[in-house]
Amino acid sequence: MANMNLVLVGVSHKTAPVEVRERLCFPEPKLREALQELKSRYDHEEGMILSTCNRVEVLVNTTNLDDGVRQVKDFLCDFHQLRYDFLKKFLYDFTQMEAIRHIFRVASSLDSMVLGEPQILGQVKNAFNCAQTAGTAGSVLSYVMSKAFFVAKRVRSETGIASSAVSISYTAVELAKKIFNELSGKTVLILGAGKMSELAARHLTSSGVSRVLVWNRTYQRALDLAAVFRGDAIRPEELFKHIEKADIIISSTGASSFILNKADGERLIHLRKNRPVFIIDIAVPRDIDPQINKVSNIFLYDIDDLRNVIDANLKQRQREAQFAEEIVRQEVESFLNSAKAMDVAPTIVSLRNHWESIRQQELAKSKNRLGPLTRDQEAAIDTLTQSLLNKILHGPISELKTLSRNPAAKEHIETIKRILGLKDR
Amino acid sequence: MSLILLRITIALYSIGLLHSFLTIITRKKTLFRVALFGICSGFLSHAWSILYTWRETHLPVSNLHEALSFFAFVIVLAFLLSYARYRLESLSVFIFPLVFILTLAANLISSPQQPLPEILKSIWFYIHIPSTFLGYGAFFVTFAASVMYLIQENELKRKRPQAFYYRLPSLEICDELGYRSLSIGFPLLTIGIVAGALWANKAWETYWGWDPKIIWTFITWLIYAVLIHYRLSAGLRGRRAAFMAIVGFFFVLFTFIGTRYLGTAHPYIQR
Repeated sequence: MANMNLVLVGVSHKTAPVEVRERLCFPEPKLREALQELKSRYDHEEGMILSTCNRVEVLVNTTNLDDGVRQVKDFLCDFHQLRYDFLKKFLYDFTQMEAIRHIFRVASSLDSMVLGEPQILGQVKNAFNCAQTAGTAGSVLSYVMSKAFFVAKRVRSETGIASSAVSISYTAVELAKKIFNELSGKTVLILGAGKMSELAARHLTSSGVSRVLVWNRTYQRALDLAAVFRGDAIRPEELFKHIEKADIIISSTGASSFILNKADGERLIHLRKNRPVFIIDIAVPRDIDPQINKVSNIFLYDIDDLRNVIDANLKQRQREAQFAEEIVRQEVESFLNSAKAMDVAPTIVSLRNHWESIRQQELAKSKNRLGPLTRDQEAAIDTLTQSLLNKILHGPISELKTLSRNPAAKEHIETIKRILGLKDR
Repeated sequence: MSLILLRITIALYSIGLLHSFLTIITRKKTLFRVALFGICSGFLSHAWSILYTWRETHLPVSNLHEALSFFAFVIVLAFLLSYARYRLESLSVFIFPLVFILTLAANLISSPQQPLPEILKSIWFYIHIPSTFLGYGAFFVTFAASVMYLIQENELKRKRPQAFYYRLPSLEICDELGYRSLSIGFPLLTIGIVAGALWANKAWETYWGWDPKIIWTFITWLIYAVLIHYRLSAGLRGRRAAFMAIVGFFFVLFTFIGTRYLGTAHPYIQR
């Protein structure tokens, strides 16, 4: 695109600590004002600002790349009243294709703190919408961003970058699904009415677990928590009467010794006729004897086991990220190719050269027929033909320039080139 | 003609096998469409090949070449039925290596078509053999589901997820598939055995010849009977059920191929 001069300046969790990021943050109410200033103060044609807790990035389409980088940096300093010497070591800047690659990676969550986390795409979309409402997003930004959303979608659907859980609660849900396949119709038993177990239970119920049982040493607290989930409380002395109903047990009591041992586990499985039980022990010190995991059809995970699963999941994401990087590479390349096709400058040059050579030929021919001419006369003929040519070419050239600003006009440009007999150079 | 079709079949099955593995390794579900195309079109050409011989002579199960091909065919049928119900891409990785080997062996072993002896021509032929084979096909699905169960269970017990954890279905599904295929396979094998006895009575005037193949089939049947019994009565499931199903299938294989070397006089090896 002839008029694409992209500059991106920003800080992220990779380059700057939170103390710096928070000072650069653009809160939503101030965003519009910032965008207006970004556009009006400098000769940027378009601009957008992405401001999240992990990154602040300013993307502009400007007229001059070198000035653009400096201007955006100035803007960041001025707007937040920070000194450039302080800020410069945290800032990164990208131009043109590098900027596009960066945007594609950010939107695809390849640059996120938690690789593959899904929120970033929404945040990027939101930033673009703000720029649109503020009137600072034009055709180039629209084109670039629509490509970025497309790339993010491709990455999400073609790689498993976001497919495995990376939080304790979701990992517990995921493991439960690996055992029971479906959680609907399952019963979860909470041992010890603590905050952590409440959170885990909340994730399980929102994933389909239908019944919640609560057991606590003080009955009243069990009743309170059971009320939250519209479940049932178990009396302190009746735990073993009801424990067999539970498919999933979350334990976080303050007990100083094990409340379930291997023999309990064997009895439990016998009572359940071999139906599996998933036990999550998030208490420290632990509530459940680790030996219970040896009982067939019992699966016990303590807090460290869950962390191990998260680590493995993160490694999976990293492996998937390699496929995602390849997708980004392909898409940047295809963007580059279409941008090349959009570039009308070579077309204009060859258009001029083509007509200029015709003019010269015709001039040479006419000279013989006109006979000897004075220097002034020669100059006058030259000016005449020159201005004739300029007038004729003015229309097509300015039309080409207008078209080149519109990314959808690629085919028109091709057609014009063909009509004028110009080959791609 | 049927041999050419069988060549085409193995080519298509190899496409299916290869892409099944690629699907599981890369976890790109789109690749499985290619695998499914290979499997389905292979199945059709396989069916054509069998029907072709059938029209010329009789149901082609009377020599080793035909029996191997027919066994592969019923396994693919069992796979397609399981896939229609459960949509498990990973199952194909456990099923198709054997299908490939059986079809390949059938391609390499060429035995002459033997006319069925007059004495054996009976409706029981069309009940005894297909239902026994279908039962074995179902048992192979049970076997594959059990292997998948044991691998996934091991992943969950070791608590350090590796490649299989992400690629295999849940324990519940593996167990359910194993149980379902078992409860379809068992009646089929039972029908096959009963039909065989009735057929034997008609042809040789004895219900029970002490042929090694018959004895081993009966042992196989007993193993599956015990497994079904414990599943129904004591809620046996999971690991132990999976182990038994795997052992059971080794008996199936031995009954199917191994008994040849014990000097059996069983039908398709009448020579």
